[in-house]
Amino acid sequence: MQKGCGECGFAINPMVGIDLTCPVKEALGEEAFEIYFSRGRMSVLKSILEGSIPLSKELAEYVYQCTECGNCTETCHQSDEHVVLNVSRWIDHCKVWNALRKDLVESGFAPLEKHNSLIEWMNDEKMKNPYGEAQGKKFEWLSTFSNIKDRGDLVFFEGCTMPLRQVNTLKNMMKILQVAGIEVPISKEEWCCGSIGLRIGKCGEDIIRHNVELLEQMGAKTVFSACAGCYRTLKKDYPEILGKELPFEVKHITEILNDLLANNQIPFKPNESEVLKVTFHDPCHLGRHMNFYEVPRELLIKIPNLELIEMKRNRAHSWCCGAGGGVKSQFSELALKISMERIYEAIETGANILTTSCPFCIGNLKDAYNRLQPEDQFKIKVIDLIDLIASKI
Amino acid sequence: MIKMSQVYQKLQKIVSKNFVSNDLYVRHAYSRNVNPVLQGVPDIVIRPKDAEEISEILKIANQENIPIIPRGGGCCEWGGSIPDGDTGILLDMKRMSNIINLDQDNLIVTAESGISWGALNNYLSQFGLYTGCLGPGSGLTASIGGGISHHSVGAGGCAKYGACTNQLVSLEVVLPTGDIIETGSQANQFSKFPFNRFGNGPDLAGLFCGDNGIYGVKTKVSLRVFPRPPFAEYKTFLLPRKDAQAASQIMIEIRRKGIDVFDTIYMPQVIIATSGPLGTFPMWDILKKKRGILFYTIEANSEVELEQKVKQLDEIFLNNKSEELGPELSDGNFAKWQYENPWHLYHNLWGMVPASEPFTAECFTPINTLPELILDTQAWENEHKEDMNQITKITGNLLILSGAGPIAMVDGNNVEYTVGFNTSDSYYNGKKHKIIDKLNLKLWKSLLIRMFKHGVQYYMFGTLPSSLMVEIGGYSLEYYNLLKSIKKILDPNCILSRGKFNLKGD
Repeated sequence: MQKGCGECGFAINPMVGIDLTCPVKEALGEEAFEIYFSRGRMSVLKSILEGSIPLSKELAEYVYQCTECGNCTETCHQSDEHVVLNVSRWIDHCKVWNALRKDLVESGFAPLEKHNSLIEWMNDEKMKNPYGEAQGKKFEWLSTFSNIKDRGDLVFFEGCTMPLRQVNTLKNMMKILQVAGIEVPISKEEWCCGSIGLRIGKCGEDIIRHNVELLEQMGAKTVFSACAGCYRTLKKDYPEILGKELPFEVKHITEILNDLLANNQIPFKPNESEVLKVTFHDPCHLGRHMNFYEVPRELLIKIPNLELIEMKRNRAHSWCCGAGGGVKSQFSELALKISMERIYEAIETGANILTTSCPFCIGNLKDAYNRLQPEDQFKIKVIDLIDLIASKI
Repeated sequence: MIKMSQVYQKLQKIVSKNFVSNDLYVRHAYSRNVNPVLQGVPDIVIRPKDAEEISEILKIANQENIPIIPRGGGCCEWGGSIPDGDTGILLDMKRMSNIINLDQDNLIVTAESGISWGALNNYLSQFGLYTGCLGPGSGLTASIGGGISHHSVGAGGCAKYGACTNQLVSLEVVLPTGDIIETGSQANQFSKFPFNRFGNGPDLAGLFCGDNGIYGVKTKVSLRVFPRPPFAEYKTFLLPRKDAQAASQIMIEIRRKGIDVFDTIYMPQVIIATSGPLGTFPMWDILKKKRGILFYTIEANSEVELEQKVKQLDEIFLNNKSEELGPELSDGNFAKWQYENPWHLYHNLWGMVPASEPFTAECFTPINTLPELILDTQAWENEHKEDMNQITKITGNLLILSGAGPIAMVDGNNVEYTVGFNTSDSYYNGKKHKIIDKLNLKLWKSLLIRMFKHGVQYYMFGTLPSSLMVEIGGYSLEYYNLLKSIKKILDPNCILSRGKFNLKGD
């Protein structure tokens, strides 16, 4: 596939006025040799395909320093309906990087050390999550809520990050749904969606089949997730890998909440005078990967006393939080550096709140937030969109 | 001669370990340009921060007789910024991308040579300024140092302002021996800031303009900048049947009337006819007659001035039996898109067909030679069907198309003629077919020679076309001897851009 890349370099430098480029390149700054971003990698791939250089562990170290945010693809594919960039029809950089990762795994040069642990835990019969936690722990939070059903049309796929790392957000989501009169079935048999394995290049179909069968048995007509990674994996990867449509529709929590707000099913506190200035960060797994930009914004502007302010780079041009593609687990400092840039961009808007709808982004943005100087921390807070709504009811 | 590992250690001392690498994958990441065939893997890649570091690097290269290749944006063709063979030290100039000064009184910007045309113009736009000629079509990535090394044109503005070297005021250059010089007004050591290119003796800056990197490493560039006029109009016309003749005639008349068009770009019939089926320009699907198009952009400082210029231009176009397309992009009016999206057209045309590669290079030629060149390019294709068929036998139905890309009017009475062919990549069905590379190169050389013999001026030469020009006797002996003698004086060990113009040292 990558032989279609003409190495014009278009994908690597900022677009005038949009500042769109590679977050890894920018985070590495002056030390960014071309191997760290798209054109250099394409050149290396050509040499590999032509048989002049081998796959290796050293190569894996470079290849996994990529968040797979899709910014290079977005830049390369800049197009409109009248002037179509032809390359956009046959180069999907993320697919190329994923194929290379898979080759590295199959050749025994990957996963890298920390990724290996995640995958082992994800596949461990007693865990089935990439956090190395006992499987039961993922469902402890459910004890707070009585009468969780086993079956229903609208099923919640909880994922791993929220129940194991951001449980209060999950509880807040349930609180909102309950207030709105929505009951959602949740299964304790759910496994990790496999996103982390798919991004790293090692995920068996057994995980996918298990989850699909489980959700089907629960009677799901619609499955929703509050995690951008799970959403992308269920909606895009599952049908691609299984080679067929899923027997249910997949939605993101923001779609559910947006409908509830449209139907006035969420009662907000009355008479709040303070106007919250909020900026929204587009998670890569929602935005560029799924072309899902407007629903969270439609949702936000329906919240009373809230002013939505866009960051300079938004929607397709959004700056990655730095956590994706396995970067957070294996190259945590790089992830934080990228994330810091995003927070400063949010501060520039004058917003009091930086919100998003991805637990992975939230985790990394909050880690970066904790590194800010107190005077910068004072300027902004990082809050999941669910928590933001919950705070207003 | 000491081992490369020892050289590497010496280089580390100059730039520190974070900015030099001999890693296999790093080296391969810098081993190609946009051309599809040539590859040269450097032994070492280094990212210097200033002229002084480059000077030290060059001194070591001289001591050890190691070739050095500077690389700006890496958008060159035909070996422009990769080593000739698997050897040497590659200077990645992109670390040097700071804007040093904007002199708003004298309208001169000074920047490090690794900055891209896009980034520089983005900065200038805050002040209502631009560089006039916006550099090469690849200018979002291509560096200003590379532009000066090639007389680049193509992104926009070259009909009005000429090649980017026209705007050059002053250069800081590290000579191959490591000496650092400044040119133009800065040749006078008492001069406080760059203000003019000419004077203080011969125009030595001119020696480095279009040198394809053989005479020195450009580290600092001062360019004239211009206020961007507040008014502009953009129109696109469908040309009559003999489109090349019409395009040529219209451009000549524009020049004769002295109208300062910002851009006039001709898209030959082959682009219009193939872009529909290929889906590149769906807007032109509406055209019943798939003939060439020509568009103009004109700038002005007032509405009245704009109106007058537009009237004059329209008269020329309509008198030459051109049909004006509607005002919107959806009507086929490409001119506005090009003006508002400089540097995008190049990317759009780069490889119009999946798994195919463009074998093209850019040359200057007088406007009135254009029809003949286009005809002869077609004749060349017809004469070489046998070799082309050999390629398509391996790769299936992929059509090999020859012709020219967008042809931009440049200053003087010239055009930029980007001529070549689109052909199959040698990597096909999971395997590399060396015979395809061999045939493609054979075809490419024959087309280059054909064009050389029309008397055109290639400007982004790279290793391949520049050496071919020497081999076929394109240069007179006396001219080539002068070129070589200058090289010998500046670069006695021929370490810089070794291989270009067949200069390989003793």
